[in-house]
Amino acid sequence: MRIVLSTVVALVTLASSAFAQGRDTRTIAAVAVGTWNAEGTTRIIGAYDVPADKEVSGPVAVLNGPALISGRIVGTLVAINADVRLEPGARITGDLIVLGGTVRRGDSVSIGGEVRTQAELLRYTMDGEQIVADEPILGDWRPRIAGRRADRDTYTELFFVAARTYNRVEGLPIGVGPRFRRTTSWGRFEIEALGVVRTAEPIRWDRGTIGHDAKAELRVGVKNGLVAGGRLFDVVAPVEDWQLREVEAGLSTFLRHEDLRDHYGRHGVEGTIGGRLGEEVSLHGVFGRERWRSLDARRPISLLRDRELWRVNPTMDEGTVDLFGARLRVDTRERLRSPWTGGWYIKADFEHGRGTIARDVGPLPVVPTLEDVSYTRGFLDARRYTKLSPGTELNVRIVTGGQLGGDRLPRQRRLSVGGPGSIEGYDFRRSKYDDDVFTCGGIAGELGRPALCDRIAVGQLELRQDFDVRWVRTDRNDEWWRPGLNGRGQWVVFADAGRGWTVGDGAPAIRNDRGIPPLRTFRTSLGFGVDFGELGFYLAKSTSTAKEPLNFLVRVGRRF
Amino acid sequence: MMRHALLRALGLAAVLVTAVGAQRAPGVEILLPTPTRLTAEGPLVKARGVLTDERMRELLASGFPARLTYRVELWSSERWLDQLHRTAEWEVDVRWRGVDKKYVVTQIVGGRSLSLGAFARIEDAESAVERPLRVPVAAPNSRRRFYYQAVLEVRTLSVSDLDEVNAWLQGELQPAVRGERNPGTALSRGVRSLTTRLLGGERREYGSRTPLFRLPR
Repeated sequence: MRIVLSTVVALVTLASSAFAQGRDTRTIAAVAVGTWNAEGTTRIIGAYDVPADKEVSGPVAVLNGPALISGRIVGTLVAINADVRLEPGARITGDLIVLGGTVRRGDSVSIGGEVRTQAELLRYTMDGEQIVADEPILGDWRPRIAGRRADRDTYTELFFVAARTYNRVEGLPIGVGPRFRRTTSWGRFEIEALGVVRTAEPIRWDRGTIGHDAKAELRVGVKNGLVAGGRLFDVVAPVEDWQLREVEAGLSTFLRHEDLRDHYGRHGVEGTIGGRLGEEVSLHGVFGRERWRSLDARRPISLLRDRELWRVNPTMDEGTVDLFGARLRVDTRERLRSPWTGGWYIKADFEHGRGTIARDVGPLPVVPTLEDVSYTRGFLDARRYTKLSPGTELNVRIVTGGQLGGDRLPRQRRLSVGGPGSIEGYDFRRSKYDDDVFTCGGIAGELGRPALCDRIAVGQLELRQDFDVRWVRTDRNDEWWRPGLNGRGQWVVFADAGRGWTVGDGAPAIRNDRGIPPLRTFRTSLGFGVDFGELGFYLAKSTSTAKEPLNFLVRVGRRF
Repeated sequence: MMRHALLRALGLAAVLVTAVGAQRAPGVEILLPTPTRLTAEGPLVKARGVLTDERMRELLASGFPARLTYRVELWSSERWLDQLHRTAEWEVDVRWRGVDKKYVVTQIVGGRSLSLGAFARIEDAESAVERPLRVPVAAPNSRRRFYYQAVLEVRTLSVSDLDEVNAWLQGELQPAVRGERNPGTALSRGVRSLTTRLLGGERREYGSRTPLFRLPR
């Protein structure tokens, strides 16, 4: 009873004291917004300056600021999301209310009323000249999906320039031409028509130097919807691109004179029709006709070993094929709010090809024998990213693919394992101490060590943990070792396992006609390294081939 | 007595030096709400000194926008693996506007942008960037032990973003091609910028977390 009575007395005292002093008991945000919206308030958006010899009648409300007061304000000054600087001799006869900002006060400053400040920023919406404070809703603060903003853009450009991956067949392929995109309330339409110029020598006015890539796409629906598109192209494409990302393949070629991909020419037409659910899921049906050709490595420049010969770009099958397929993409890596549906990346391709090709075209000038082919191929790259705690991740990747039925796959569709991006304890397409379960006969048998496996399976596992690198550097002084070593780093421990195999023919050690080969035949490696965000350094050692030496790898970006 | 006073003075000096150092070092701060408000409101998050770096200012003045991406996560501490409960993310964009020679600061939450002002002085832009923000990631009513983790990533344009690279090409190379600027300088500056960004030169990441807390009974 005594407690209740004393509480009532305290409340009455507080209320009467506030009332007696004419004090506004509303929150600072309510007072500031109320003053801004009141009739008769002088509203200023941006910098506000009252010189020493000037007198202003209040109330005055400043948004964003800063407000520099040297003279006199007769009445109240409200600053919203703005700093206030009161110079010596400044005078405010009323209250000073600062919301989402700070007050810096000089000597002999006079404030007649109350000073109320709140550092916390105000989020609001403008309704005409009125401010409406936002109600915070967590749903509005969801992590954004990468690329969403760029995808909404509208543009018209007559001279768009885009460079693609540096490689030993093209040098730097540069796409130049007009592009156009309109984003509307019902969807999006875009056209792009690029001529492709290749910088590798010899530069001539022929298909080795000149190509094209034109596409048009119509999307109905802003977030979810249907997509239809067409593409006309004469481009150079990689045979496999799942091991390394573009920037790594390009840098390896340009800096180290080592192109870790093979390439072939694609000339034809392609149509797509499909749908998408937001930016995370898309499924497309693809159909087209292409003429494939084999290409030789040319003479692009490289920073190191520029005088050495490039690895031969292996010969590919040549001919015309009709292609039908489906492409599924799921990418929920940005969606961390949902522990089970977030953190996935799935790329699944299915392709059926039918046509007439000349297989195994050699370097000798003989008339190739044409062969009718009909094949079916599948490819899956599935990854799961799991956050165990802040700064600790456990990531898993499974890559598998190859022939699903029909005839032997064309060389453009065969696969390989080993080296950076797959089983990192082994070198790229070398098997000095081992059976060739990496290219299935390509290493010893042919120039350029082509990928000849009909099927592959690779598993990768990694554990990452943050560590702070600021103990070895400061942002202020250490300019000289800036590249790649900013912010936080991560220790990475990883394990890789996998192999490739042939179906129907090949040496017994590399052949497996049914299902997946026994796991004991898989090549494995363990590794450890540090990742500084966009540059990582790793050591990897084969555990299934004792004689295989330790590998040192530099990766740009994450391993996968 | 004298010895105690000396030790106290040294201790105070050490605390002051640490505090001043901590205040100046770039980073992100995260403050818990008062215990009675833990289920009603989220933490207060504030960047500190992220634009003071000379190189960052130089880049801003050269027309390279800076993008600050904040991510706040609510975790519970579990016996084996900690559990992520809620996440919020927002961005602050700072760019130089050549027309009126001002730094424009914009905050973006869920695709909706809020102007934090346009400032003639970089110090004022920095002050706007550093305004603390209440993030609506309140703790759920539970007996678990929670903590907040804040990560701030500061970067200039991403090289992987083709549209932005195109803007860079237009800004850097095309004036040179038209003869408005020395092509050699434009190219060398472009290559330098591209290389440093490719190698992560203009990307910084700062992190901070609160102590473990339990909701009051």
